[in-house]
Formats: sequence, structure tokens, C-alpha cells
Amino acid sequence: MGGGERYVDYITQSLQTVEGFDQAIFTIGPDDQLFLRNGIPIRVLKNESSQPGMTNALSTFLWRELSGFDLVHIHQCLTLFGAYSTAVVRSLKIPTVGTDLGGGEDQQMLRGRGVELLDGVVSISQYAHNLLGSYFKGPHEIIIGPVDTDRFSSTSVNAIRNPREILCVSRILPHKGIDRVIAALPASLSLTIVGRVYHQSYYELLCKMAEGKNVRFILEANDDTLVDIYNRSGVFVQASTARDVFGNNIAKPELMGLTTLEAMSCGLPVLVSDAGSLPELVTDARFGRVFFSHDDLVMLFQEIADGVWPGPNAGEFARSHVISRHGLNAIGIRLADFYKRTVARQKKQGNDIANSVSH
Amino acid sequence: MILRILFLTNLYPPLILGGYEIACAQTAEAMRNRGHEVQVLTTWSHIPQREAIPDWVHRRLDLHWYIPHVPNHTLEVRDLHSAVCSSYANTLHLLDALSNFRPDVVSAWNLTGIGGLAMMDLMNYLEVPWTLYLGDRVPVDIATNVPDDVKGIFNARGGEVYERAHIFSVSRNLLDEIELMSNITFPQGADIVAGWVDLAQSLPHQPYLQNGKARFVAASAIYQHKGTDLIIEASAQLQASGVDFSVDIFGEGDLPRYIDMVKRLHLQDRIRFLGSRPYADLLKAYAGYDAFLCPTWERDPFPFAPLGAAGCCTPPILTRNCGTSERMVDRVHCIKIERTTDDLARAMAEVAAGRVDLEKMGRAGRRLVEGDLSFERHIQKMESAFQECARPWEMPDDPTLPLLLFLKHNLSVRLRFG
Repeated sequence: MGGGERYVDYITQSLQTVEGFDQAIFTIGPDDQLFLRNGIPIRVLKNESSQPGMTNALSTFLWRELSGFDLVHIHQCLTLFGAYSTAVVRSLKIPTVGTDLGGGEDQQMLRGRGVELLDGVVSISQYAHNLLGSYFKGPHEIIIGPVDTDRFSSTSVNAIRNPREILCVSRILPHKGIDRVIAALPASLSLTIVGRVYHQSYYELLCKMAEGKNVRFILEANDDTLVDIYNRSGVFVQASTARDVFGNNIAKPELMGLTTLEAMSCGLPVLVSDAGSLPELVTDARFGRVFFSHDDLVMLFQEIADGVWPGPNAGEFARSHVISRHGLNAIGIRLADFYKRTVARQKKQGNDIANSVSH
Repeated sequence: MILRILFLTNLYPPLILGGYEIACAQTAEAMRNRGHEVQVLTTWSHIPQREAIPDWVHRRLDLHWYIPHVPNHTLEVRDLHSAVCSSYANTLHLLDALSNFRPDVVSAWNLTGIGGLAMMDLMNYLEVPWTLYLGDRVPVDIATNVPDDVKGIFNARGGEVYERAHIFSVSRNLLDEIELMSNITFPQGADIVAGWVDLAQSLPHQPYLQNGKARFVAASAIYQHKGTDLIIEASAQLQASGVDFSVDIFGEGDLPRYIDMVKRLHLQDRIRFLGSRPYADLLKAYAGYDAFLCPTWERDPFPFAPLGAAGCCTPPILTRNCGTSERMVDRVHCIKIERTTDDLARAMAEVAAGRVDLEKMGRAGRRLVEGDLSFERHIQKMESAFQECARPWEMPDDPTLPLLLFLKHNLSVRLRFG
């Protein structure tokens, strides 16, 4: 699963921590399927789109399947899938909440103002909301996370942490800025890079840059391995960039750094770049620092090498922060409240119309 | 109960292609005459109109396929999309009409050419009571000319878009054809409201076979599918047999082709092309003919013209399984034929030879039209259906509704054209 799918998985889990909701997930795939995940039915509808690409997938059976729901939350609302689903859900007169997970910039939804058909927007960061905010002026909520803090936990494995071990977890893509981490890495620190290769020439560049440095790549890691690695590392780095090493400008480089939150949940202090939403994740220098340039990162690495930063309780601060702000229950409560307010607002509008007609 | 009825139709007189548009206009006028408040939303007409256009007829819609000199098969796909699927401007005009007029019921007729699918979807969304008069296979046109994923935008993957409509059909044959070609059934049922004739303008019939000559008449679009070839070829057979007869053909169409054909077969003294005439003038003209020729294609849902002729005591010779045949009994009200030159020629020869009691058949035809197929009876039936359908509905105070329509229209264009 990519970040978008994990986000949906997480927020449905978060809503499960709050009473009063029945949930189902509808998605599009090559064939019809129905299965349960964490007790939530997942209905895969067969893709009927004439357009190639998963973000262009759609199903006309949404008309039938969605009927009867009190609210529909459309993820990836800035795609053709999102636009189509918005049209169907609004036609069914069901309150609709949308979220952009970075899958597209559908111009019908943005410049065509399709987003105004949404009754509410949940953004995964202030940065994400700023991208949408000039088009959508209605009710919105910024919900960063959630993270499964039980699964991503410092106590879940009995590992010994190496304070000089730097960790990067991300797909190996140029805009993730891994080259910047290798370039700034001093001889006194080691670096582990976990993630699949999505860009072969970038990976080859990284390998070349890593020569003579203490760098290792783990290209395949399941969730258990990942948690173990989080618990053995000293500091997590997410170095995403709006301009990659090849000179390409990147739109929406990081709407939400989920791996950063997962690392913090495991008790890892973090370094993040100033790209996208990443600075929003580290609100306290005791557990997180933001770097703006190569020199900044070199300086921060030096602080780590010298034992100046992070402090002895940085990991606890990080985890405590994530649990209170980004944990499943914390997010579930906020999400439930937003959903309820959205439904109530729609009902009130419906009653107002009915009253005006009867008068 | 006095109703507010909005008629929605692609064509409206004086621009007509056939009986469908005339039937719509007659129904709208009849409803007005019965005291109902009527508005018609239709398309432009380029035909010069001698009388002032009534203020209750609003010609605001654009027509996306009718260009007289361009055959339909040369239509660009984009025009076809606007014609059968979605025309945003037309959908907005309907929204305006619904918002301003607040009809108790919408009477939809032929929606081809005006983006009918999006319009039906809008009526369903607003839960406006609406009826659909099927005088042709409009659902098939939509089903076969709109890709499935595009239909889905308007909840029209199957027959869902029609489920809230009260369906009228001119014939059972037409409903069967729609089901066969598009799998669309109408589980809510459909009222068969066959064609009708308003005989107010008709004249008493003149004596039959005057001076031993058979006078045949035809009135339709002049094309092969309407049987013009068959009429000319059968006339050639009659002429070769030495029968004394004439054929007058009213209507417009591919005249150059048929004038040449008549000339080639040396039928200039037998066959005349008399152009189109107002409906009332046609009814008056039928009184001077012995039989009406209608060898139309089998799938003609319900040609109105032979019914008008029957009502004027001019027996029709018509294709055995066209829609109108459902309502008439062979050798009682009409002569039914297989759609072949030989069978048509045989029937014409029978008439010319005096082997058919035309007077008796003419009287039977008139009785049928004055009874079961009378204008009054059908109007009564439709009025009752409108009364049953009518119920209060709410126009939502929702400024985003045009946006929803815009999104759907643009999605339809995008999915179709990329």
C-alpha cells in the first residue's frame, strides 16, 4: 500500500475508536471483491473507466452501492475518480467530505470549482489545505495522521537503539531528497535507507554517492521489519525537496509525512526538511528539527555526532506528542466530530428548505 | 385540478419531421384549452412563421443535430454527444424553466438533439414528476450512442434514469423494440397511447373511384425507409397492367432522386410530388382520394398519417407490422401488406379494380378513429395521467446545483473525448 491507501486505512481505524459509526470502504479495482479488514467491509468495484490509470478509475455501481449512507468521504478528490464520485454522491444528496491525498490536481475540481460541491474538506496538513483553500471556502478540518501508535511503538520490540544511526524511510524517488542526506552525512554517523526503488537511475546515483560512507540500503522491508529498524535507529530524517537533484520542480512534495509520524511514534527524534507539510510535524525542537539547506543538515548531523542533540528524553517527547495529537483515538474523536457537524449542517439546510416551502 | 404542465420537446411546429411533433403540439394546445397552465420548452425554428409565436412557447434550446442538408451519419461525435447525452446550456435552460414555472408535471417528448440524458437526470435529481411520451426509440438512441461510463454519470447504466417517469408509448411494438435493442424495460409499466387524429378539420369523403380511376395518396417524409421506392415501383407494375390510377405524394425529402426515378419509369403522368402541407390541409385533401399508401419500414413506431387518412374515410394500405397496424384490423379498417413491391401493387390493383368495398372500409376507419383513437379520448387519457403524476416537489435553494450539472456535463465530455 502507498501512503494514500494507508491514510484511508488509518482513518477508518481511528473512527473505530469512537462509538456510533458503521463504516465501509469502496474502492475500484480490476475485479469485484468484498472482504473484511479490521472488521470493516471493503468493497472493490470493477473499474469501468475508459480512461487508463488508477486515479481515473470509476464505477457506475456507486449509484447503487452508496445509497443509504449518511455521509461519504471521498479520498483523492482531486482526480477523475474523485470528480466522478463527487458527481454521483451529490446526485444521491448524501453529505460529502473530500480529501486530497496528492493523487492529482483535477482541473474540473479546482478551476471548474467542483470542490464547492463538497460539504466539507479534511486536509492532511495545513500545507495541503493551502493548496485547496483558494478553491474551497467551506467547512474544513486539518487532520494530520493518524498513526497506529500501538503498532508503531518503541516498546513493541526489544531492540537496542544506536544514537548514531540515521534512518531514511521512503520510496526511492528523486523528490524524496535522499541524496541530500547522503551528501551531508559525516563519517561519524551511519545511514540506513529503507524503501523500494521507483527510479533506477536515482538509485544508482545514491549508490555512487554512498561509496566510502557508512550507508546501507534495505529495498524490501515488511511492517515488522520496519518497526524493528525504527527501534534500532537514533534519528529519523525526511529530506523531501521541491526541486530534485536532477533540477525538476516537484508539485506537492509532501502533503503529510506519514513515515515521520510513524518514526516519532516509535520514539525516534526526527529531522525534516522545509518541504511541503513536513515542518508542521515537528512543533517542538526537543524531538524534532527542521533544516532548510545542506549546511543546516550538516550542522544538525554534527550536533548528533557530538551528542548535543537530541536530548535524553527526545524519543519520549516524540512519542507522547504523536499519541496526543496524531494517535488513532485523538484523530478519531476529531474526525467523528467533523462528520457529525457535516451531517447536521446538511439536515438543517434540508429542514430550512422544507420549512420555507411549507410556509 | 388545474395543472401547470411543462412540455419539453426537441421539435415543435412549424419545424416538424412527422407525427411526433404534431402530436406534442396538439397535446399542449389541448391542455391549454382545458384550462391548464402550459409552457413549452423547445428549440429554435428557422421556418418563417406567419402567426405570432405564442408567449407560452419558449424556443430557448439549441438543436444539435438537425441540419437539413447534412445527413445524420455525417454528424461529428461531439455533436452526437450534445444531441443525445448532454448539452450544458440546454440543461440550464430546463433548470431555469423548472425554477421559474414550477410545473406540477413535465411532459417530455422526443429528447434527441437536445442532450436529453442530462435533462432526464436533472428531473430525477429534483424529483420533478415527469412523463415521457415515446413516439420513437429515444432510449435506444441514448443507450447506443453514449458509452457506459458516461451513462453512469447520469445513473443511466441500465434503465434507471426512466424509473421515475410515467411512460407513454405509441405502440407495444415500440416498447418491444426498445427492450430488444437496449435491454431497457420499464418496470413501472407503460401506457399505450396510440396516435390519434383530430378530425375537426376533415371534410366529407367524395365518391370513390370516380370515372373508374383509382386515386392514391401518400404523405410522409420522402425516403426509402418510408416506402417511396415501393410506391413508385408498384405504380410501374400497375401502369404495365393498364390500370387507370394516379398517386399524389405529399412531403419533403430526397425529391431529386425520386423525380428521376419517376421519369426513368415513365410515370410522370401518374405520380405527382406536391410538397408539404399543413396538417389540416392534408386532412381536407384526403377526402378526394380512394386509398392511402403507407408501405413504411416495419419498425416505424406509429406513423400518424394513415390514421388521419382512415379518419377521413380513406382506407390505408399499410405495412403489416408497423406500429399503427396494432390498432387496425386487416380488411376491416385497412389493407395490410407485406413490405414488398409485389404485395403493394397487388393491394393497389385490388382497390383500382373495385374488389375492395372502400366505402364500408372508410366508414369503419372513421368509426375507429372517432372512437378508440379519437383525439378527445387520448387527451383525456393523458390528462388523467398528468393528474395522477402531479405532486408537490421542492426546488432546492441550492446555488451549487448549476455546478453539479457543470461537473456532470464536463465529466461526460472528458470521459468521451479525453
